[in-house]
Amino acid sequence: MKIVRLKVAVIAIAITLVSGCATQITAVEEISTVESISITSTVPPHATRVIALANGSAEIISAMGYRNILIGRDIASSDPALESIEIVTSGHQIIPEKILSLSPDLILIDDATGPKAALDALKAANIEIVMISQAWTLSEIDRKISEVALAIGAPASGVMLQEAIAKQSADVASIPADTTIAFLYLRGASAIYLIGGKGSGADSLISAIGAIDVGAQSLANPFNPMTSEALARLNPDVLIVMSKGLDSVGGVDGLVGLPGIAQTTAGKNRAVISVDDSLLLSFGPRTPMLITALAQSVQRVLNQ
Amino acid sequence: MKKIYALASGIPLLLLLALAIGATDVNQVWSAIFAFNFNSESLDDQIIWQIRAPRVIAAILIGAILGIAGALSQAATNNPLADPALLGTTAGAAAGVVIGVSTNLVSLGSFSAVIAAAVGAMLATVFTFWLARSALQLIIMGISVSAILTASVGIAISLVDRSDLRSISFWSLGSLALIAPSDLLILIAVVVIVLLIAFKFSPQLDLLSLGDSAVRHIGRDPQRIRLIAFLTLSLAVAASVSTVGTIAFLALAAPHIARFIVGPRHRNLLIASAVIGSIILLLADTAARSIAPPQDLPIGILIALCAAPLLILALKKGQVQWR
Repeated sequence: MKIVRLKVAVIAIAITLVSGCATQITAVEEISTVESISITSTVPPHATRVIALANGSAEIISAMGYRNILIGRDIASSDPALESIEIVTSGHQIIPEKILSLSPDLILIDDATGPKAALDALKAANIEIVMISQAWTLSEIDRKISEVALAIGAPASGVMLQEAIAKQSADVASIPADTTIAFLYLRGASAIYLIGGKGSGADSLISAIGAIDVGAQSLANPFNPMTSEALARLNPDVLIVMSKGLDSVGGVDGLVGLPGIAQTTAGKNRAVISVDDSLLLSFGPRTPMLITALAQSVQRVLNQ
Repeated sequence: MKKIYALASGIPLLLLLALAIGATDVNQVWSAIFAFNFNSESLDDQIIWQIRAPRVIAAILIGAILGIAGALSQAATNNPLADPALLGTTAGAAAGVVIGVSTNLVSLGSFSAVIAAAVGAMLATVFTFWLARSALQLIIMGISVSAILTASVGIAISLVDRSDLRSISFWSLGSLALIAPSDLLILIAVVVIVLLIAFKFSPQLDLLSLGDSAVRHIGRDPQRIRLIAFLTLSLAVAASVSTVGTIAFLALAAPHIARFIVGPRHRNLLIASAVIGSIILLLADTAARSIAPPQDLPIGILIALCAAPLLILALKKGQVQWR
């Protein structure tokens, strides 16, 4: 009996090794950038030298036609239209010396902006700092636009941008209503991965394209460290990941070879959509077109 | 030694238990484990054999590797506080991988990463060994070399804007969560090589405990014995670091617990350290993935919780007098 059990174990491990080594080459479904909705404002804002550090605030100012007042941005504001604006953060931490040297009259921050000591240094320099609410759902975009527009002294332009976004009804490709999607936050081949749950931001996008976020269905926290077997049990049809995270695990080949992911329908079918890190959760003027692109990508990976 | 055989015979039982326990419930888990055919369409079979089995086997292998590495470190330095992290070996392995990845010579998670880690570990350990002029200096030099290498790796990760390189910083956490089946072949090969070398040199390691001058008086070269021990533990640490990252405390604790059970002779101590290391890592990893499902708890915390009480118990029972 012991020999038979040993044989079973050896065969199972051999199957595991063979299946683990198998690879196939397919193109990555990647969304690196989408068009931003924008307006042309004729009314000049009160602020003239603005550093936008709140997530997505630089994109909102640019979309209102005020790119000329932007003198600094955070590293996450990666819209190609903002390329010429200086980055004043190191990683996600602000650099006070760099900010002070630009002589801003207004700095926009949110809850995630830090470190606190650097913000205190900026406050001590008597620079106006305005806190902008973070947006993690589609319905919160309007509020963020209002706050940014009010902070720079152009509330009417904010209303115009909100109206332009509302008019742009997202042209969403039809996907099967029972399509299940999981959002994974990946960092490195030796690290555990996090799965997006309720409030991750991705849940709002997934719901907007008419699919089911399996993470949000069962997990109460926005980001959840998860064992491989629990992910295998959720068994999503499609995986959404951030581009840099996907690179860090060796691309799609590396991702679908990871334990837990290899066993999902998405892993087996290589149904993976990679979205630019700062675009995915920007919740601003690029989001409507992102939803359109996301729905098309889901349709393509399901049909591949 | 009978005690250690008894403990070793418990590993297969723990292995079965570890296969049966996890973050999710598997229907009729024992039937699934003892089934006569693996059904690749069954999610339960996939969870047991494709997810849990590689991780459980990796825990046994890496536990053994770290147990042996710890025993070799303590024997070579004649210092009960020594472990591979204190000799610069672990930091050298990480530096080797960073250099390899940043120069595009290796990619993370590949066999070439193990080679880069082994080269880094060996160079750092031999450099420490070359700098030191006494067993005590060896530890201080090791800590200094570790500090330099860790700082250099930190600077490299900060300066180079590459996502794969940045992921190396996660190695400091250590995790068996993403062990790949292909890693098992590397680990099995390293366990066999390291055990054979260590076992062959174990009588010479015993001599080191007499002190260097005594070793020289009987016609042996203590530095040569140390060098062989360092090269062997470098290979062991490289395999561990390049597959699962830095796992602390186990290499320090396992040999002490083993010494309490089998005594100081290295032929027995090395095997006992491997067995104790395997058992502790297997218990810790099983707990890490099943205590708070669906979360995977950090392995370091669970190792500390499993190993530290055993270490305290072993030292207390050892009845060493305060001097």
